[in-house]
Amino acid sequence: MQDTIVEKVLKHPKYAELVQRRTRVSMAFFAVALAIYSGFILTLAYMPDVFAQPIGAGWTMSVGVLTGILVVFSAVIMISLYVYFSNKIFDPLLDAIVKDVE
Amino acid sequence: MKKFLLSTALLSLFAQPAFAATGQANTSAIVMFLVFIAGTMVITWWAARKTQTTSDFYTAGGGITGFQNGLAIAGDYISAASFLGIAGMVYVSGFDGIIYAIGFLFGWPVVMFLVAERLRNLGRFNFADVTAFRLEQTPMRVLAASASLLIIALYLIAQMVGAGKLIVLLFGLEYKISVIIIGSLMMIYVFFGGMTATTWVQIIKAVLMLAGGTLLAALVLMAFNWNPDAMLAEAVKVHPSGTELMAPGAGVSGNPLNALSLGLALAFGTAGLPHILMRFFTVSSAKEARKSVIWASSFIGYFYLLTFIIGFGAIALLVRHPEFYSGLAGDNSNMLTTLIGGTNMAAVHLSNAVGGSLLLGFLAAVTFATIVAVVAGLALAGAAAIAHDLYANVIARGRSTEKQEMRISKISTLVLGVLAVLLGIVFEDQNVAFMVGLAFAIAASANFPVLVLSISWRGCTTRGATIGGFLGLAFATLWVVLSKTVWVDVFGNAEPISPFPNPGIFSIPLAFFAIWFFSVTDKSARAVKERDAFTALTVRSQTGIGRSGAQDH
Repeated sequence: MQDTIVEKVLKHPKYAELVQRRTRVSMAFFAVALAIYSGFILTLAYMPDVFAQPIGAGWTMSVGVLTGILVVFSAVIMISLYVYFSNKIFDPLLDAIVKDVE
Repeated sequence: MKKFLLSTALLSLFAQPAFAATGQANTSAIVMFLVFIAGTMVITWWAARKTQTTSDFYTAGGGITGFQNGLAIAGDYISAASFLGIAGMVYVSGFDGIIYAIGFLFGWPVVMFLVAERLRNLGRFNFADVTAFRLEQTPMRVLAASASLLIIALYLIAQMVGAGKLIVLLFGLEYKISVIIIGSLMMIYVFFGGMTATTWVQIIKAVLMLAGGTLLAALVLMAFNWNPDAMLAEAVKVHPSGTELMAPGAGVSGNPLNALSLGLALAFGTAGLPHILMRFFTVSSAKEARKSVIWASSFIGYFYLLTFIIGFGAIALLVRHPEFYSGLAGDNSNMLTTLIGGTNMAAVHLSNAVGGSLLLGFLAAVTFATIVAVVAGLALAGAAAIAHDLYANVIARGRSTEKQEMRISKISTLVLGVLAVLLGIVFEDQNVAFMVGLAFAIAASANFPVLVLSISWRGCTTRGATIGGFLGLAFATLWVVLSKTVWVDVFGNAEPISPFPNPGIFSIPLAFFAIWFFSVTDKSARAVKERDAFTALTVRSQTGIGRSGAQDH
């Protein structure tokens, strides 16, 4: 019983497309997240002077503090974009597969 | 004040005012806390009637929505430690506090892109279900339960000790009594209401915490005409570190490898914390799991931004109130060492400074509630590890009935509750600062690599996952024990053996490498079968098809 469902899903033309595209998208997002995060950590660890500068004349806020705030926003934005992709692209593919198989 | 702090006499409940200067605050804190308790008791009574099966007990019957679950996760994550701790760190060293917040937050993209939806599709009650999906039950469950129980024990001790001390300060209760109150409340929630009560307690608390934090940050910014840079300028002016507040401190740039190592453990640890992962089984589908992450990360990110404002605001505003210090020098040079109750109390004092005793009372009550709620979530994850992994699947080998498993999980809850109280008392005067860091390091070095490779790499075998997971666990633990935080600060040795405190940069790659190496060299018949089973796992993890039919193996 289980096997036949698995085989049915595997034979479904949209399954390969779903897996391939979803893997590619989540890997791309993961790579970007890792790049942002490790960029932040590496900069503060090895180039602290870059983060120490004020963001402009007359400002107290430093490049590091501003970058930190932007990095917080970037995490939420990336997750939101991923959800948008999932809802728009992957869910319709998935629904089609589930409808045909079950 | 000092006399009261040192007092160990058994005081009658609520008799002693917490703040000599603000006895009023104590009353409002107690009233608000009692209202919270009453509310959560009603919820527990309601949840108890719905908690009949193991599925109700562990996962609230899968009936939590993505939005609710996002709030509950945010509640688990914004513990008293991370709120007061990060605000306190910003108060001490400015920018460095931000590093921790960002590390904790970046666990969420990792969870979302690598595990969240697949976890929901593959498991029933906890993440061990997922690692045991195609790999052998016994070793995978023993590994998952060992790592989980160790993480939970460390977290529990850190929360109990921190909480006990905090409550001594906030409510004027005796340490042992506050630890017993936390333990008892936690047992009531979990024992009677299971995951439904635990989740709702967490949701209510998260909402209160977000509201209180928003109000506090708004009042701080209002004091500076809504100009954050004016607040920073004032902070830099009064703080002994001056403009260095805005830059990575010596503790970070002096040891870049340690900073990197800490960063890795914080970001990858989240995807291995048992009480957080367990929340993904309380929602009805992978789509709802996804929604949970977006809500959770938004609330957590927002809350951390508030924490930065609160931390810098505390620097700028608290020195105007010498009554919060025990002998503040005229040039503020001792503002870090003389703050009453220690620097973790910066946010609490700030609430008194900008919002008066009412806001202080509110924040104190919410902090107490937070500790109880986080501890309840931990206990539930611990009960699942004991009853579902060790008892039902390892000892009884899947032959136990649901009723038996339920009974064991309830007994486990009581045992964990009593143990948490006892450990809280035993560790009262110990330095527990390293424990949360170690918990994250173990989660990142044992649970995370096993979970990720078992669901995304065909070649992963039981032998590889078991050896790699235990190696990561042992290496991370040993490294921390031999580091300055334990070897020197706890055991009193002169020199640490580990060069720096955080093991992540070595232990995480080590675990991944060991899983890979002992998997590819595994030529057993079992390994062949496990690699073949990967196709079925992928179908399930990608589509969720067949999940409802997944019963105990």
